[in-house]
Amino acid sequence: MVDYCVHVTIENKPGISDPEGKTILNDLVLKGTHQNVSKINTAKMLKFTITENNKESAQSKVREICDELRIYNPMVSVVTIDAFDA
Amino acid sequence: MNLESHELEELKSKIGREPTSTELQIVAAEWSEHCSYKSSKKHLKMLPMDGPLVIKEKGYDSGVLDVGDGYVITAHIESHNHPSAVEPYGGAATGVGGVIRDILSAGTRPIALLDGLRFGDIEKDQHAKWLFKNAVTGIADYGNCLGIPTVGGEVEFDECYTNYAMVDVAAIGFGKKENLIKNHAKKGDLVVLLGGATGRDGIGGSQFASDSLESEDRSAVQIPDPFIEKLIIEAILEARNEKLIHAMKDLGGGGLSCAVSETADSLDIGIEMDVDKVHTRESDMHSDEIMISESQERMLIVTDSEKLIKLQDICKKFRIDCSVIGHVTFDNKMHVKKSGKTIANISTDIVANATLLDLPSKKPIYLENIENTKSFPLLSDYSEVMLILLASPNIASKIWVYGQYDHEVGIRTVVKPGYDASVLRLDNGKFLSIKIDGNPKQCYINPREGAIGCFEEACRNVVCTGAKPIGMLDHLQFGNPKDPEIFWTFLESLKGLTDFAKDFEIPCIGGKVSLYNETPKGSIKPTPVIGVLGLIDKTPLRIQKINSGDCLIMIGNTKDELGGSEYSEYIHKFIGGKCPVVDFSDSKKNMNAVLEIIKTELIKSAHDCSKGGLAVAVSELCMTNLIGCTVSLENVPGDKLDNDKILFSESHSRYLVTFEKKNLQNLEELLKKHNVSFKTIGEFGGESIQFTADSKPILDLSVDKAQKTWLNSLKEMVMHA
Repeated sequence: MVDYCVHVTIENKPGISDPEGKTILNDLVLKGTHQNVSKINTAKMLKFTITENNKESAQSKVREICDELRIYNPMVSVVTIDAFDA
Repeated sequence: MNLESHELEELKSKIGREPTSTELQIVAAEWSEHCSYKSSKKHLKMLPMDGPLVIKEKGYDSGVLDVGDGYVITAHIESHNHPSAVEPYGGAATGVGGVIRDILSAGTRPIALLDGLRFGDIEKDQHAKWLFKNAVTGIADYGNCLGIPTVGGEVEFDECYTNYAMVDVAAIGFGKKENLIKNHAKKGDLVVLLGGATGRDGIGGSQFASDSLESEDRSAVQIPDPFIEKLIIEAILEARNEKLIHAMKDLGGGGLSCAVSETADSLDIGIEMDVDKVHTRESDMHSDEIMISESQERMLIVTDSEKLIKLQDICKKFRIDCSVIGHVTFDNKMHVKKSGKTIANISTDIVANATLLDLPSKKPIYLENIENTKSFPLLSDYSEVMLILLASPNIASKIWVYGQYDHEVGIRTVVKPGYDASVLRLDNGKFLSIKIDGNPKQCYINPREGAIGCFEEACRNVVCTGAKPIGMLDHLQFGNPKDPEIFWTFLESLKGLTDFAKDFEIPCIGGKVSLYNETPKGSIKPTPVIGVLGLIDKTPLRIQKINSGDCLIMIGNTKDELGGSEYSEYIHKFIGGKCPVVDFSDSKKNMNAVLEIIKTELIKSAHDCSKGGLAVAVSELCMTNLIGCTVSLENVPGDKLDNDKILFSESHSRYLVTFEKKNLQNLEELLKKHNVSFKTIGEFGGESIQFTADSKPILDLSVDKAQKTWLNSLKEMVMHA
């Protein structure tokens, strides 16, 4: 059993508005000189450290936890789960 | 999103051709129950809607009342049940946003919010807890960001809402009569869409709200953006002051389809618009999606080309987008184009006026024996029962909820949440008192009397602040209307409300019908929620702290009416029994008597008796004043009843009045003059809540212990376990 670092990124589904991202874009980034930026999306990331047999099981275990505990609302958000060696 | 086959046939015969796909989408949105009220509209006409203070204008989304000196208040109630059941945070928050824009569209500034929340059993059900917690946070975040106080509301839990959420929001607006928008339009006027960009969120929402909730994935989720809403409020009010607005409508259910067709229909005009002119969030949106998207924080405005320049300047200042999407025509048609090509061209009368239904109704079988009474074993000591009731989710203090809301911002709130009704100071020196109430437990047992009870309870709460009821908002929430038994309960509730409103001359100034509220286990209990507005000409009752030696008078009779009570349902798990019935003549007498004794300033506080009955009402006085009280049950007005009935029956028209002993004689004289049933039932002092029957104590609870339980119970339920 080894420790793995699992990143859970929770963001709004495509097509659902993201007021926070839009505000950062319009009121901060575009107010500067960064006119080449066209979109900013906000997301929330959880970093799990989990002891598992391999990367795949670390990833699937974390997904299971997130689904079971309703860490995100599947109606609104999508999650991306990436596992790394700790 | 589809029309039913007979509706499709009807549409074809009305327009005399095959409808285009855009027309189908527009009509499906507008003919949905949510927008068209097709099942209920015929019957809603029975409610009295006129009164000396009511101001009516075509196209208003909210009720308007004249409060004198050139000022008006506006009021409206909406629900966001389906969206909140799938995404409680965003659903509840956008529910607040929607009703605020209804207030704004009359040209008044929103000054207060109230919300009624209902969920499943939070003690056992984790999902109900999740819904509850997030809906409250959603309301708090949205209202607090806008600087509009949430001044009151109610929260209730019942197993019939398992896997569901009922989120009702009422909003109050205030403004000058001269600033009200007089909705009108002339040929060539421009149609402007102002606010947030149109996106794919909430597509099919109104149709969604008109279906029973299924577990399948739907995109009817709306993301709240209170900061845009705040900018819209300020921009609109500035445009109103500059007289730039000819007509205005908020975009809610049905999106552009409904806003455009209803505006055109109510103003007797046509509107020609181009979907390419609508500012969208994504570039690849289909024109049908643009027409029915229910993206939040948008307003439709009719203005003319000269005023447009000023309007655009205001929008620029507040950094909100606005686009001219079309213009006014005089052919009474809703003409939608895309890049110059017609994609819909249909008479607004057809779109905005779905054929109204006359659905069959039948008395439900379950009602046959439900009012049979059941006697519960009598106890010699009710202290334990009392403690359980004070900790129960429906009776426990809701401070965990309203503590999260800013209820003072705007410095109008004179009486804050936690009392009977909230009171707001108006600019003309008068005060407005408001309360919303519901009681599905009683409405289930007797839909008619239950609904009247909610109405009277809201009146009682308003009366307790010294205000005379001047208007009512009704929100009728039921299951599937195509079930004749459910439709019967809807009609009964509506008839009851109508009778009470007519008898008491309280006009219905606004309302909403929400049908198809069904959970996987079946229909919800009938859930009418009634809001009552009251006006205080001079000063509201100044609630004073109760001291040792002060006395307690009870006005109104306690009856054998345990049906739907918390005692019956929470303690004994029994659904049934005699539902409390309002006696109209007693109710009126008691209201007038309480209003008069408040005017004479002889009393310290007035409190209504409702959930949990006399025992809970007295305890609330003790717990909020941290003082004990001794009440003798044999003095309680009404027929001789068993002790549990006197303690816990939820009979209506009852008030508890506290006062200094020296005022007793004056008070008695006044009350006798009003010919009401009353008696001094107790005296304050000591450190425990005591009830005696025939001089023997039957309930004895330390105030301190009771208060701790009552205040902390709900919070503990939500935060722990």
